[in-house]
Order: sequence, then structure tokens, then C-alpha cells
Amino acid sequence: MMQFSEIPPLHQIPPFSIPTMNKNHIHRARPWPGFPTSKGLGSFGDANCMEQLLVHCANAIESNDATLAQQILWVLNNIAPPDGDSNQRLTCAFLRALIVRAAKSGTCKMLAAMANAHCNLSIDIHTFSVIELASFVDLTPWHRFGFTAANAAILEAVEGYSVIHIVDLSLTHCMQIPTLIDAIASRLEGPPLVKLTVAGGATEDVPPMLDLSYEELGSKLINFARSRNVVLEFRAIPSTYADGFSSLIEQLRVQHLVYAESGEALVINCHMMLHYLPEETLSPFSNVNSNPYSFEPSSTQSLRTMFLKALRGLDPTVVVLVDEDADFTSNNLVCRLRAAFNYLWIPYDTVDTFLPQGSRQRQWYEADICWKIENVIAHEGLQRVERLEPKSRWVQRMRNAGFRGVSFGEEAISEVKTMLDEHAAGWGLKKEEDDLVLTWKGHNVVFATAWLPA
Amino acid sequence: MPVDLDNSSTASGEASITSSGNQNPLPKSTAKKKRNLPGMPDPDAEVIALSPRTLLATNRFVCEICNKGFQRDQNLQLHRRGHNLPWKLRQRSSKEVKKRVYVCPEITCVHHHPSRALGDLTGIKKHFCRKHGEKKWKCDKCSKKYAVQSDWKAHSKICGTREYKCDCGTVFSRRDSFITHRAFCDVLAEERAKAQTQPQPQNQNQTATKESDPKPQTTDSSLPSAAAPVSVSVPESGKVPAPAPAPAPAVPQLTSVISSSALPIQSSDKSFNFPGYFVFRFFKSGPLMLYLPSILDHVIELPENPSPIMEESLAPAPAAPPTGLNGSCSSSASLGSNGSSGSGSSCSVFASLFASSTTSASLKPQQPPVFIDLFQSVGQPDCLTDLAPSPSIEPISLCLSTNHGSSIFGTAGQEHRQYAPPPQPAMSATALLQKAAQMGATATNASLLHGLGIASLSSSSAQQDNLQWGQSQVEPENTSVVAGLGLGLPRDGSSGLKELMMGTPVFGPKQATLDFLGLGMAAGGSPSGGLSALITSIGGELDVVAAATSFGGGDFTSKDFGRSS
Repeated sequence: MMQFSEIPPLHQIPPFSIPTMNKNHIHRARPWPGFPTSKGLGSFGDANCMEQLLVHCANAIESNDATLAQQILWVLNNIAPPDGDSNQRLTCAFLRALIVRAAKSGTCKMLAAMANAHCNLSIDIHTFSVIELASFVDLTPWHRFGFTAANAAILEAVEGYSVIHIVDLSLTHCMQIPTLIDAIASRLEGPPLVKLTVAGGATEDVPPMLDLSYEELGSKLINFARSRNVVLEFRAIPSTYADGFSSLIEQLRVQHLVYAESGEALVINCHMMLHYLPEETLSPFSNVNSNPYSFEPSSTQSLRTMFLKALRGLDPTVVVLVDEDADFTSNNLVCRLRAAFNYLWIPYDTVDTFLPQGSRQRQWYEADICWKIENVIAHEGLQRVERLEPKSRWVQRMRNAGFRGVSFGEEAISEVKTMLDEHAAGWGLKKEEDDLVLTWKGHNVVFATAWLPA
Repeated sequence: MPVDLDNSSTASGEASITSSGNQNPLPKSTAKKKRNLPGMPDPDAEVIALSPRTLLATNRFVCEICNKGFQRDQNLQLHRRGHNLPWKLRQRSSKEVKKRVYVCPEITCVHHHPSRALGDLTGIKKHFCRKHGEKKWKCDKCSKKYAVQSDWKAHSKICGTREYKCDCGTVFSRRDSFITHRAFCDVLAEERAKAQTQPQPQNQNQTATKESDPKPQTTDSSLPSAAAPVSVSVPESGKVPAPAPAPAPAVPQLTSVISSSALPIQSSDKSFNFPGYFVFRFFKSGPLMLYLPSILDHVIELPENPSPIMEESLAPAPAAPPTGLNGSCSSSASLGSNGSSGSGSSCSVFASLFASSTTSASLKPQQPPVFIDLFQSVGQPDCLTDLAPSPSIEPISLCLSTNHGSSIFGTAGQEHRQYAPPPQPAMSATALLQKAAQMGATATNASLLHGLGIASLSSSSAQQDNLQWGQSQVEPENTSVVAGLGLGLPRDGSSGLKELMMGTPVFGPKQATLDFLGLGMAAGGSPSGGLSALITSIGGELDVVAAATSFGGGDFTSKDFGRSS
């Protein structure tokens, strides 16, 4: 199904056997609205063709065929300028990531050596000020969707509780919290005491990066909460996804012993964070002997599974899981490349609707996507942290861990709809069973699910 | 289950909802919201294309009495009526029922095509102004600019009412955005601080006593749930808006306890009884980044928790390096001490984070010229020497110096940070001073150097001893050639390169290209000693030095390192 239907085979490109191509990747053509073909390149400008070329290039690099890789890189380079349209920029980012990968392996190192002589492969990841980050996150529903859905679900779940303990595992450095506090503050029964626990430094190496310490961030939040008549306690527990947030879990467990009977609501808000937890495809020897959960007897499970079980052990009032709906876990580079290419076109495609070309914010935005692409394509093992899983797999994981899904209420849906109305028309909301899915032009982007202990 | 939709405009599916135009948008958002594919006219309609000048003309029809211009004849006729001049309104004949649609004069615009023409003249005019015209109407209040006067008028009416304005001057159209901004804006902190110092000049001692007031009321039971709204009615003195409905029991403000001071920990001694605390002490890490007490903590205060210890472990000054927790948590010490006194190496992660925060804003603003140069040089070997001093290559010596910086490759030097991909933009200050183009190469400098060095070598067809060549050729702008030479001397490279180049007609206009880049040696499978050294040294800064030295560029190269770092 993936043969050279549109491109004449390149000179000297041998027929490829792509072993895993048919395995679990369902490739489907998608609409590429208004895609302008590059002049003189004919069908080369097509996104599917670009994907095909990237796959060939990846194969060449994987088989240490520097000559072939060189050829394809040349072609790709010509059809995918870094300042081209969204598909070209997408392809360029992948091209870049492949070169980075080549630089790390085999004879193709020479390729990268050469490439480096003439271009700059590094990404400038912007470190945001907190105000910058707030407005940055606000540009698109990418994060706001999860914020809005989660806040509504949380608000519903903690009704009647006078003490609410929120554990915020979020990629966006508490950007969700102000609106949550604001909503909690205005609830009918009066504001509760809110404890906020975050994993300090959990994603300090993953964009978006923040130039503010969590201590300062916390004091701002406390200040803000007080202006809303909410007493907020803030605590950042140094913890990292790499060990399954073990120190955070440990803390929460100790607390649980004390507070479980007190009628305190425990809210676990996971926003685009859990996919950093090592999962099964990460070679097992890397976390054998390092089971961080002393209370967990088995170390044969992945950290992802263990973490969810540990969460379940805390008997939380509600768990909200929001994440990007794609599968970046394959150990096969080509599979991953296809999956990433067929997902990460979305951020490139959407950017035109909210950021003008050439703006600084747009550079930050695209650099962050570049970072992600590079992480998926160029890195392996523990360095490869972008391990997205599709919603269906998360649902299965949550069920296996002893949670049952709960529906988002009408309130949540209307909040999300109102929020989406503030953005471009291509965004949509889809309800799948209990869950909400943010879509762009009909394609799943981010899912939001809510869970109770079964 | 998910319905695979082609396009949002058709998004329907079983249970799918979209934000596309078929819904009732809120009045506020209508202006911003784009309809899906506006302009899908009746195919039979007559398509009118007006030039920009005609489109924007305001006086195509001029009154001969007062010189007032009108865009439409009909309007002029109505105007003439006022002058008591003869006037005539066209009657609609049945022929004129034929619909007219208008295309945008801007060629690149989607509405330039008749299939996307807009249905009325006013519409196309406004479209043209909005999308392709100058925004000359500026709101005095919020500086927002509009191209169409009526848009500006409409905005002016609601500006400041429907929009949310922070005291810092930023205006938001959405409440959520405003709330989030407000929470993190310094203005709020300043206001709170001001409000706090005036009525409550209490010091920390008073804090403790005051704070303990509510405690007895609820401490009796070991269940802290009762702690919720203990009423110590500290008057809310700030002018900060508190839109929340005032709760029946006044919420204790505890202003000075949970103060906005940078180190609330200090004032919290006795109340620091969150159970997690013990865990931390156990690990001797003392790395609570921020801990703020609450009433609740008093309630469950555990008697065996001595306050002195707390102070010790949380003393902000030279926090003891955290030792107990695993490596990835090591950065906490610097945070615990307000980030100001990072202790030793443990804070390196955050230190670099902080460092980069100030620097990255000035990083190279655009994506590098990427691969173009590379391929140019591939195709045109003759230009290599010319290319060398070009912006993307010139600063090689600098690249050498940045090997302490972040790198996308950055494996060798940074493997001890096992979880982390190398920190991204933590450039040194020195590096920042350099030109943008070189900033990114960072730790890949090895490869960079070698690639370039080889290229330069071959382009000048120097096949002799690299050492001599390198030393004699040392020029400021391509110093690194030496290193490259040392490693990648393509003595025997021609065969492999030939393969490569021959295989790719696009690359090799000339045979002279064959040995440039040294790429073919790798491809040809007969790497020389120098080459293998190169390969192994890629990414490892130490190796680079070693290799360079051993191949004779040493003197010069290390000097170069020193100078530029």
C-alpha cells in the first residue's frame, strides 16, 4: 500500500522492504487542504511523498547506506525548505532529526559531519518567562482543551469537599491552576482549602521551559489564590518521570495515611505528562534493579503500569488524564516516523491560524515541535522521552490499574465548546464514549479522560 | 467510536461536535471566528473583478453641486434628491436578478478565485481592507489596530468593557486568559505586598502566635477535616478584586504566614508539619522547594517534630547538597534556597536553566539556513573555499568552544544525566556574544570541524601532509581546518568518494569533488586511521582535543579552544 504510487523511483533507489510497515500502522490519506506544490517539483511537493522520502531516508540511515541517505536528503532538502509551507516545515524538521540521528550511528556519521559544516542542527528552545508562557499556552486549544475539560471534571468531583488536594502533573508548569482556583473560589459552598502539590523539576529538560523556579511560581499562585479568598498551600516535590515520580508517590502515600480518613479530596491532574513515563518498549534492563517503588514487589512491570497502580493505591477522588492522541512508542524507527509525521503535521497546520509568520512566538512554537520530532526520531532508550500512546491504550491501562472511566458532564462539554469558539474553525470536539477528544479538521489531537477508583 | 472525518466542515459523525460555523457562536466570538470557507457562490452568478483602486474608491460618483463622492450611483441619486436635482433610481428589471459575486483583487488570496468569490461588494471591500490593507484605525485604549473603520468603531464601544485589562496594561479578550495572566503577573504580587504591609506590619513572631490562634479550635480531634474555614477574620485589606461570593465564614487570611515573601519557609517553623516532611528529613535531602503551612498543618501537628530541625534543614542560606534522593532530584537544593545560592554541583540543572533563561531570548531568531549550504557545497565543490567564510561556517573556532554547551547530540559528555536529553539552550555567555549562525553547532563541533576541514582540504586539493598544511594555512576564519585535517585526511578517500559521487549525478559535476568531504571514505569502507578517530570522536569533546592534538594541529587547536571558551 505504500509503494511508489506517486513518485517515480529515484535513480538507484533499490526497492525497499519495509518490514514493519504493515504491522500496526494504518496509513490513510488525509486531506491536505490547499497544499501548494512546489514549482518544478511536481508531485514531490506532496505530503505523502515527503513522508515516503523520509521513510526511505530513515531506512537508508538505519542500514548505514550513506550514499543513498545522501541522495534522499538532497531531494528532501530541495522540496522542504525550512521557511516553506506547513508541510515543508514539517518535513524539514524530520529531515533535520534524521541527520541528527545519522550523526549518532554508523557510517552515516560522515553525513552529519558534513551537514554540520554547513548548517545549524541545534534547536533554540526558548525559555519562557511565566507571563510569556501564560500567553503562549493561551494561543491554541492544544493545552486549553485539557485545562477546560479537566477543570470542569475536577470541579464536579470535589463538590462538597472542604479540603482539596490537587496533585498537578502537568507539562505546562501550573498554567492550568489559576483558572481552576478561580472556579473553585466561586463555587456555591464557599472556597475550600486547596493544597497543591507539583512534581518539581519533572520536565525541566522538556519544552516548554520556564525561567522561574517552582518556589516563585508557588508564591505567585498563593498570592493569586488569596486574592480569590482561597487559602492555597503549595508544595513542589522534586520528582521525575524517569523514575515514575517515585518520590512524589512516596510522599503522597505517607500523606494518604494521615489524610485518607479526613475527607480530603485527592485530585490527580495529569496533563501531557504521563507519556514521559517509561513504558514497556523501553528496554527492560534499563530499569531492572531500579524499581523505585519499594512497596511494589514486582519489577517486571513497566514504570507506567507501576505508576498507575500506585496512583490507584492512593484512592484518589478523581484522576484526570489528558494527553496527545498518537503512538510514538514503537521501537521501529520507520513506524515511529510515520506515526509522528501523521500526527505532528497538526501543530504546523494550525499555527497559521494564530501566529503570524516570522513572529518570535512562532519560532518558539515551532522549535518546540522540532524538539519533539528530534526526540522521537533521533534518540533512543532513556533519552527518547516522547512516548505518546493513543487514547485506547491509556484507557486500557487505567482499567487495568483499577479505575473506571466517568463521563464529562454537560457543563464540561459546554465549557469546552465555548472555549473552542474562541479559536479557529478547524478545531472540533468529539465525544467518544466517556471521553472528550479535541480534533483538528477531524483528526484526533488531544484526549481528555476522567477516572474514579473502580 | 471515532468517526474519521475529512474536514471539520463536515464534522458530524455520531457524536461529534465541532466549533465550526453551524453553531450559535457567542456574540463576542463572532468577529474572531472564521466561517468555514467563506464564499461559495452560486456558480451561475456573474463574477465581478474590481481593481483595488476601484474597490476602495469612495468617490466614483460625484455630486456636481457639493463634490461629495459616492461609491454607488444609487446613493448619488438619492443625494441629488436633496439638492432638488433630477434623480433617477434604477429599477430592478428581471434581467438584473442575476446574482453578482465579487473576487478579491489580491492574486494570492483564496477569494481571488471565482469559486471563492464573495456575495456582495461591501463584503469584498471589507475583506480586502482587513486582509490586505493597512490597519490604520487604532484603538486609543488598547492599541489594537483595525483596517476597517466600522470594525474599529465596534471595538471602541466595547473596549474595556468586554475585555479584561490587567494593571500591567495587557488587555485580554477572554476571561481565562486574563485570570491566568493575572495570577502570574507581578502587578498582583506588588499589590498584595502593598496591601499587606500597610495594615499588618506584624513580624514573624507575631505570625506564629496569630497563626496558632485558630488552631485550638479544631485541634482536639485528630481529624483535620474540621480545619476548613476557621474564622480568624483578618480583614481583607487589599484592593484586589475578590469576585468570589463572600463565604459565610470569613476565610482566614493569615496574611503574614502565607506571605508573599520570598522565603515563607522561614516564618513557618512550628507549623511545618506536613507529613511528607519526615520523609524528606529521612533522606537528608532537605530539598523542599517551597513549603507553606496552613491551618491544617497545625491541626495535625505532631509533637515529636522539633522545630529546630526544621529550620536547619530548610535554612535558606547554604543548603546542604541533597544527598539522599537520587540524582535526578538533585536540583532541589538550589530551589530550596530560593535559587539564589545554588549549592555545588547539585544545582547544575537549575543553574543552567536559570542561565539560559536570560540568554535564550537573544538566541538566533530564525532557523538556520539549514541544509542549503550543505548541498550547495556538495554540488559545487569549487565554491567550497568561498563558502568557508560565509556566516554559517566562519565561526568554527567558536564552535569549538561551545562544547560545554548544550547539544542535540551531546551524548558523550553528558551521559551521566541519564534521563535527560541534554539541556537545550544553556549557552555560555561567551557563546552568546557570537553570531547566530554558530550558536547551534555546539557539541557537534567535532563533526562540524571535520566536515569542514575535510572539505577545505580537498577543495584546495591539498593531498600532502595534513599537519604541515594545516599549520601553514592557519587563518582566523578557518582555524578548525587543522583539526579537520588531522582527522579526516582523505588520502585514500578518492575511491570511496568516487562511488558516492558517481552514484549521485546530482552531486558531482566534477571529478574534483570526489575527495572533498571525506564522505566516501566512510562509504567506501576503508577508513584510514584518521577517519576512525574522527568517527569515534564525534560528539565527544575530549576526543576532539585528543585527536586534534595527536594529529598535529594540537598546538594551535588547543590554543583555539582556550581563546574562544
